[in-house]
Amino acid sequence: MKKNFVKKVTAVLLAGTMVASLVACGSTSESGNSATETTAVVDGTSKGTIKLGLVAPLTGVHAEYGQGFQAATKIAADEINAAGGANGYQLEIEVKDSAADPKTSADIVTQFCEDKDIKAIIGDFTSSACMADAPIVDQYQTVLLSPTASNPDYAPMSEYCFSVMYNQSNMAPWVGKSVIGKYMGVKSVAVMYLNTDWGISTNEYLLKGLEEAGVEVLADETYEENETDFSSVIAKLKASNAEAVCILDQGNVPTIINQIKSSGWNPLLVTQGPGASQQLLNLCGENAEDLIITDSSYITEDNPATKDFYQKFYAINQCAPTDHSLCAYNTVQMLAKAIVSIGDGEVTRESIKDALKTTSYDGMAGTVQFDENGGGVRQFLILGVEDGKYVVKEDYGFE
Amino acid sequence: MLSQYIISQVVNGLCQGFIYALIALGFAVIVGIVGLATFTHGEIIMIGAYASYYIFLACGHNLILGLLASFSASWIVGIIIYKLCYERFLEAPEHISLICTIGFSMLLKNLAQIVFGAEKKPMLNVIENQIYKFGPVEISKVQFVIMGTVIVLSTTMMIIFNKTKWGIALRSVSQNREAAALVGINVKQTSMIGNCIGCAMAGVAGMLIGIYYQSISPTMGATLSMKAFSAATLGGLTSVPLSSLGGVVLGLIENLGISISTASFRDVFSFGFLIIMLIFKPTGFVKRKGARP
Repeated sequence: MKKNFVKKVTAVLLAGTMVASLVACGSTSESGNSATETTAVVDGTSKGTIKLGLVAPLTGVHAEYGQGFQAATKIAADEINAAGGANGYQLEIEVKDSAADPKTSADIVTQFCEDKDIKAIIGDFTSSACMADAPIVDQYQTVLLSPTASNPDYAPMSEYCFSVMYNQSNMAPWVGKSVIGKYMGVKSVAVMYLNTDWGISTNEYLLKGLEEAGVEVLADETYEENETDFSSVIAKLKASNAEAVCILDQGNVPTIINQIKSSGWNPLLVTQGPGASQQLLNLCGENAEDLIITDSSYITEDNPATKDFYQKFYAINQCAPTDHSLCAYNTVQMLAKAIVSIGDGEVTRESIKDALKTTSYDGMAGTVQFDENGGGVRQFLILGVEDGKYVVKEDYGFE
Repeated sequence: MLSQYIISQVVNGLCQGFIYALIALGFAVIVGIVGLATFTHGEIIMIGAYASYYIFLACGHNLILGLLASFSASWIVGIIIYKLCYERFLEAPEHISLICTIGFSMLLKNLAQIVFGAEKKPMLNVIENQIYKFGPVEISKVQFVIMGTVIVLSTTMMIIFNKTKWGIALRSVSQNREAAALVGINVKQTSMIGNCIGCAMAGVAGMLIGIYYQSISPTMGATLSMKAFSAATLGGLTSVPLSSLGGVVLGLIENLGISISTASFRDVFSFGFLIIMLIFKPTGFVKRKGARP
């Protein structure tokens, strides 16, 4: 009696599995037909799963960006998997929190490298954390693809280090020469920058661009990342009588702008770092009016190219995505493209690295590719704030 | 021009100092007067700021309502902290409750990131951005409000703890719990209310800091609470007015130091001053060694 029951249950389960397999095969080929615009390639069968590691600051001062990474990489992986996977492989992302602390980040990257199932690592947010991770991925011969590390010293540290964020050696001189010198046409500027690897290198390249454009630098002040009161720095810049203030920072930009305006000073303001985020407009209100901001993308719900990503991101994080999140989305797409280009070859850490070098991805905000060192190459926009909204002042290609 | 610059740095230093003083007030009440160790002060500041933020969102920029919200929210959190971290450990060594508060502070910070979101929230134009000029000195309206609040609160606290029967009872609890119980003081309730007063001070400070910096975030209290701790140490950890003075002195030293170097050295000046002060005068600004008010 008991034996018969077990047989029946087994038969029902087997039949169920067969039906489920047929349904699954059908839906995969269907999505494959409509997936000509995506990086996913469908050959009718799933070859298995490729695991990727994501190391990002889910907590701490950069948590909003880390949580953005988490949401954006999930969106990209879901899209690729729904379209049949990357060359038939389903992508799975394992997420760990570094709090943007280089030591924690290095520990997590070591754990990922020790896990043989993880074929490539995405992250971290800050250049400092990525530079702490670089020797580890070099030793374990595993790709570390950062969405946002823009310190030019990072990617050359190892052939396994990549970044999809533009390199400061390209962008910062352009901001100094073309944005401040040519577009804004100012003769003197005061600079305030974050005392991190990113801030210091960005400042160095900016000064080169300003010198080329003949703009006089009347003050060049630095501050720590956890600074809350900028009044003493602002008083110094104010005393220099500069026409414009250039802020090189990310999360602190709204606070700095608010404190500059609260001090009763009204210089021209330009910033590099935060991207054209809605959060900046919310935090600054009227104080952001006439701000000039440089970015490599402009993500809104109105833009047909970014609408879908915007809505999916908003559904997960209840806030608008920034360029940082878009870059995280691009990392998954580029890895998927690299896996596709491996073709019938074995997908290993080494083959992903080799394929990634020549991968370029035509995404929501133009083409992304790597330079000879693995640093990101992108194009830039000049945006301004008018009536509480971003307006594109100069399109890609302004020199 | 140079004198104008120095004056503006002194004013900035004073305002920064009053911010530290505002936080140090509550810290001095909890640590100095009630005699409890705490590491949750930064998070109480954040709770107070968020309470007022949501009231401003719901009811418009009504300062009184915001003040009541931040005061009562942080008072309630003060009760929870007392029940979880102190009440059971009153007879235990002090480091037990200290470690409890460290754990609770982490819990609050991470809960806040989950509940309120990790991103900064705007707190714009709650107090009109108006700048008053007195010759070369320029002070904004919000800076006036902060300075006034610190002066009023420290004077009120000083009167409560030194002149009222309840204040004296509270101080006696911190000096000797058993003796206080023997003369009929409800030790647990008195300590709890003392802790809540300190927390409520921090909550109000959180609201004012949010208004001053025009934004709030779950991590806003972390750095400030370290400075407040330094300010309270300068004040001998036992005196509310001297802790406020410690805050003002720290703010001044930081900003004058920055005016001759860079803002990256802010902490070098403040903590350097604290170390030097404690080497040469371990009691801080308090006259007698180990004095309890």
